[in-house]
Amino acid sequence: MRVEGSEDVCEAAPLSQQEEWRDVTPIPQDDGKHPICPIAYTDDYREMMDYLRAVMAKEEISERALELTGRVIQANPGHYTVWVYRKRLVEELNADIAGELNWVSSISAMYPKNYQLWHHREALIVRLLDPKQATEGQSETELLRHPVIRRELQFLDNAINEDSKNFHAWSYRQWLVSTYNIWEQELIFVNTMINEDVRNNSAWNQRYFVILQGRNPAQVELDSELVSGEIVYTVENIKFAPNNESPWSYIIGLLLRHAPGKLYTDLLPKIQTLANNKDYSLAMTTTQFYWSALVDIYEQQARELPEQGKALLEKAQSICHNLAIEHDPMHGKYWEFRSTSLSV
Amino acid sequence: MAESSNTTRSLSLLVDKHVEYIKSLDKRQDELEYWMTEHLRISGIYWGLVALKLLDRDSALDKQQVIDYILSCQNTDGGFGGHCGHDSHLLYTMSAVQVLSMYGALDKIESSRVVDYVISLQDIETGEICGDEWGERDTRFAFIAVAILSFFGALSRLDSDRIVEYVVRSMNYDGGFGSGPGGESHAAQVYTCLACLAILGRLDVVDRERLSAWLAERQLPSGGFNGRPQKLEDVCYSWWVLSSLRILGRVHWVDCSRVCNFVLDAQEPDSGGIADRPGNVPDVYHTCFGIAGLSLAGYEDYPLKDVDPVYCMPIECIESSGLRSWINNVPKSWSQEKS
Repeated sequence: MRVEGSEDVCEAAPLSQQEEWRDVTPIPQDDGKHPICPIAYTDDYREMMDYLRAVMAKEEISERALELTGRVIQANPGHYTVWVYRKRLVEELNADIAGELNWVSSISAMYPKNYQLWHHREALIVRLLDPKQATEGQSETELLRHPVIRRELQFLDNAINEDSKNFHAWSYRQWLVSTYNIWEQELIFVNTMINEDVRNNSAWNQRYFVILQGRNPAQVELDSELVSGEIVYTVENIKFAPNNESPWSYIIGLLLRHAPGKLYTDLLPKIQTLANNKDYSLAMTTTQFYWSALVDIYEQQARELPEQGKALLEKAQSICHNLAIEHDPMHGKYWEFRSTSLSV
Repeated sequence: MAESSNTTRSLSLLVDKHVEYIKSLDKRQDELEYWMTEHLRISGIYWGLVALKLLDRDSALDKQQVIDYILSCQNTDGGFGGHCGHDSHLLYTMSAVQVLSMYGALDKIESSRVVDYVISLQDIETGEICGDEWGERDTRFAFIAVAILSFFGALSRLDSDRIVEYVVRSMNYDGGFGSGPGGESHAAQVYTCLACLAILGRLDVVDRERLSAWLAERQLPSGGFNGRPQKLEDVCYSWWVLSSLRILGRVHWVDCSRVCNFVLDAQEPDSGGIADRPGNVPDVYHTCFGIAGLSLAGYEDYPLKDVDPVYCMPIECIESSGLRSWINNVPKSWSQEKS
């Protein structure tokens, strides 16, 4: 199938004047007798929709119908009914999938926040490269050389470069990585993204996804060395910008879930060292995230070391008090509550 | 903390302007945006009606006309399309059911057909809910399926344990929820997950403190909320964040007067309507969620109706549908704090 550019749509002659469409009687929009919903189209769009309704009504499976769906989607990609029809056309016409991918890429560039196109893309990739066969016979290194995978990763690099927090692109990336088991390259990618922007929360979220290899957190036991490595990595990144919610949230959340003891045996000394280092102490001790982490850490320590519990909780309470007054007054009510709810 | 410019001005809710704006929406057929949003017209009506109901001005729409229109969007599979002639989708089926319910007109549809449509979208193997035959999955759809069935007293038809399991798998290390397992936490997805769990009486699976703290952290110095760390504030998050906090009983953890000022500042003073943020073009979606946010934030200068944080409809409508009982299933330890 020919890939259309937007200029083609603008310049194309009206369908009513094209030989190819002479046999089709367009079906105008039936707005019913309820004037609350009349739809007034611009002329071009109305004509496209009238012809679309006509081919959909007779369930026509043809190249021209495929091309028409392309035009309609290009004008209005949120029109989900057309996507369903197009998917069927691609399958039944046995259309060239590489061409279809090119087309969907051009739509992605125009409408990065559209929902349907990502799902369409997923279905195409599975048809091009059967996940079961691909992952059974080949190592990750081999798979990374496969043109389909290379192309998808390149496509995603571009999409994420364009908008580093594109929810759809990250979510599609998770699908691709877990479907084809390409975890090692993903950790490298995540490192690069965090290096580029340490505040990119999407990248920190992806890091957790990679560390767990997409498994259910409730059923995963993480290797102790791996966890320690994550602590070192995260603290290094906190150093660059202590007042950054994402790494704090990542490491506290990861440890509470998978290695709560390391909160005070491993993370605590590292962040305290940083807070006592003259190069970092000002930035560390003026961010609410440092103090808030200490509250979580002391609370956990008190839970595990009951003999020191009372003293630790008192320390945590006094930090809450300072947070409410000094470091984070906007959430004063939260810190007051946190202080009273501290318990082992 | 720097004072934002709006705190020095006295802003009021432009009620008459918003009513006129919503009434004008179906008369703008010469505008590009009108036909571009055709596929979600039914949701547009829902947003408009909720806004008008909360303003106590719903007589601005012709009730019978709206009901007839909604009924004309139902397809043979039992679901509703976003407009007459469009395929069924859960999103629009939800809007249709909500609008009919607000008009006390649910008896105009055959409930078993709608219920069968919703049930047909649960994947028997994974328990996940698809949005339509297209097959997209998302925690939004889990909520919507549960919500629709609750209107018809048909929750038992769904495998709700599997849905809870799916929602729990979508819970992140920060306490928030994403669009599915592994997805980054996002305030709107948090709302859908909490609302889903609330209806199923399973809020016990939530990490209440951590999630509430994450949500409170979404408030920025402007008073508005963002949906994720490092993103811009947007009026619609006044709804997604505050409704979540209300379900969690923690609205008082944020500064409500600042939220109100942020929303009021995003009003379009001439044509009416509310935009995503001050200075932008208004739309009916942000008008709805702005007003609903004001209601949750306890805006005092106009007697807004109270909104139910689970269904995004006036509490009085939810009560008369007998659906307010979700509040009795909140974990006992949560004692719904008055905020």
